[in-house]
Amino acid sequence: MKDKPTRREVLGHAVRGATLVGLGGLGFYLIRKANGEGVWQIDCEKCVNSRLGAVGVEVCDYCATSCVLGLSAVRAVNDYSICGRCYICPAYFDIKSAVNEEGLPSQKLCPRDAIDRKPIGWVDPDDPANNYYEYAIDENLCNGCGKCVMACKEPAGLNSIRLVVRYDLCLDCNRCTIAIACPDEAYERKPLSEDEGVG
Amino acid sequence: MRYRYIGVISGKGTNGGLFADALRGLAFDATDRLYAVGDSKLVVFSPQGKLLRSRRTERPGHSVAVAADGTVYVGQPGQVQLFDPDGKLLDTWRDAGRLGLVTAIGFVDDYVLLADAKDRCIRRYDQGGKFLNEIGNDNRMRGFLIPNKHLDFVVDPQGVIHACNPGKHRIERYTSAGKLLGHWGRFDGRDPAGFSGCCNPTNITLNRQGHVVVAVKAGPRAKVYSADGKLLAVMGEDDLDPLCKNTDVAVDSRGRIYVIDTARLHICVFAPDITTQPAEPNADETVKP
Repeated sequence: MKDKPTRREVLGHAVRGATLVGLGGLGFYLIRKANGEGVWQIDCEKCVNSRLGAVGVEVCDYCATSCVLGLSAVRAVNDYSICGRCYICPAYFDIKSAVNEEGLPSQKLCPRDAIDRKPIGWVDPDDPANNYYEYAIDENLCNGCGKCVMACKEPAGLNSIRLVVRYDLCLDCNRCTIAIACPDEAYERKPLSEDEGVG
Repeated sequence: MRYRYIGVISGKGTNGGLFADALRGLAFDATDRLYAVGDSKLVVFSPQGKLLRSRRTERPGHSVAVAADGTVYVGQPGQVQLFDPDGKLLDTWRDAGRLGLVTAIGFVDDYVLLADAKDRCIRRYDQGGKFLNEIGNDNRMRGFLIPNKHLDFVVDPQGVIHACNPGKHRIERYTSAGKLLGHWGRFDGRDPAGFSGCCNPTNITLNRQGHVVVAVKAGPRAKVYSADGKLLAVMGEDDLDPLCKNTDVAVDSRGRIYVIDTARLHICVFAPDITTQPAEPNADETVKP
């Protein structure tokens, strides 16, 4: 006859069982994300800030103001393969601001100063117009307000900046407050397989 | 100095004088016939804007120019096609390494100048299509700064090349040997005399008074400057689609300015408003309608 299990054995079984249940749940969650309900994503062709053809309209900042998080899970990202690395970037500078003594716009566009500008490659110390510039978005500062996205849109820019949802930040709410607020229905659940690769 | 909008030529469609997908280049010949290229065709209009003829080009046309002998050059991706005044194909210059995307064509002495937007420079050829030298890339940027992938230039009667360098917000002047003679222009998002945005102006031509006519994007319009860069006139702000970019410009012998609306695929025509011409110092600019 088998001996009565010890307290240690009972606890061991319980921990293993809980681990298996946890792993199973995580696997189910990931599978559901990948193939089922998916994850929250922004359709750039619907979002008014990036949608081609929508010019002369107000910037939509619902991604920044509607998220339940203190700092939204949405960020702007710059696709370097498209960026023109311009001397005067309309997404970095407020190009309608007065020109300063260096011949540049005197004000920046981003209200949170989240874009860093630096010359890259060989740098001409005498003529800054002779340089290419990298525009890097600081994700600790960006709140996804969309101003730079709108400013970079064609024909003013090259459409290299867009808004994406950071999955590591997103709480994956069933009733996402950004999706509810979005006037263009651009914020939608899609399978991970339809992710455009930046989020 | 003012210009008034007087109408459009061409438009969106598939018939002979219309363009279905793209309208990109304009030029006049010595008799004021207007040549337009886009899609994969070359269209010729009378001085009154009536369709004269249309013919296919092998590849989509990005630029057009008419030489003094009437030969019509059409710039395309990877090549230039030459037609006689009746539209018969004379020759095709192919040079994938040097004619990546021909977005402007001009003539100086007996030479042909071709702008290659792919390599961000202008190249000089002889009349047989033999490459001679490059212009505009002997600098630290190794060429013009053209984020929009469009390079335009014009040649004045003295043989000086006036080229847009939109990334630097200026017009640069070169000899046909490639020597930089000077430049003018500056960034300014408020003052209409400056060039706004990331990269303007995109297109350029000259009128008979030697004034520089340029087109800019975002918001699209055409502007007329004196040879030394003083702003004289602005037009098209209310007439061009906001989505226009790389809008080619041309001027006829009457001083009328023709601007492509690249979104609506038609050509906007602006005439000098003689009632607003200044008595001086530019009295010689008055153009009879």
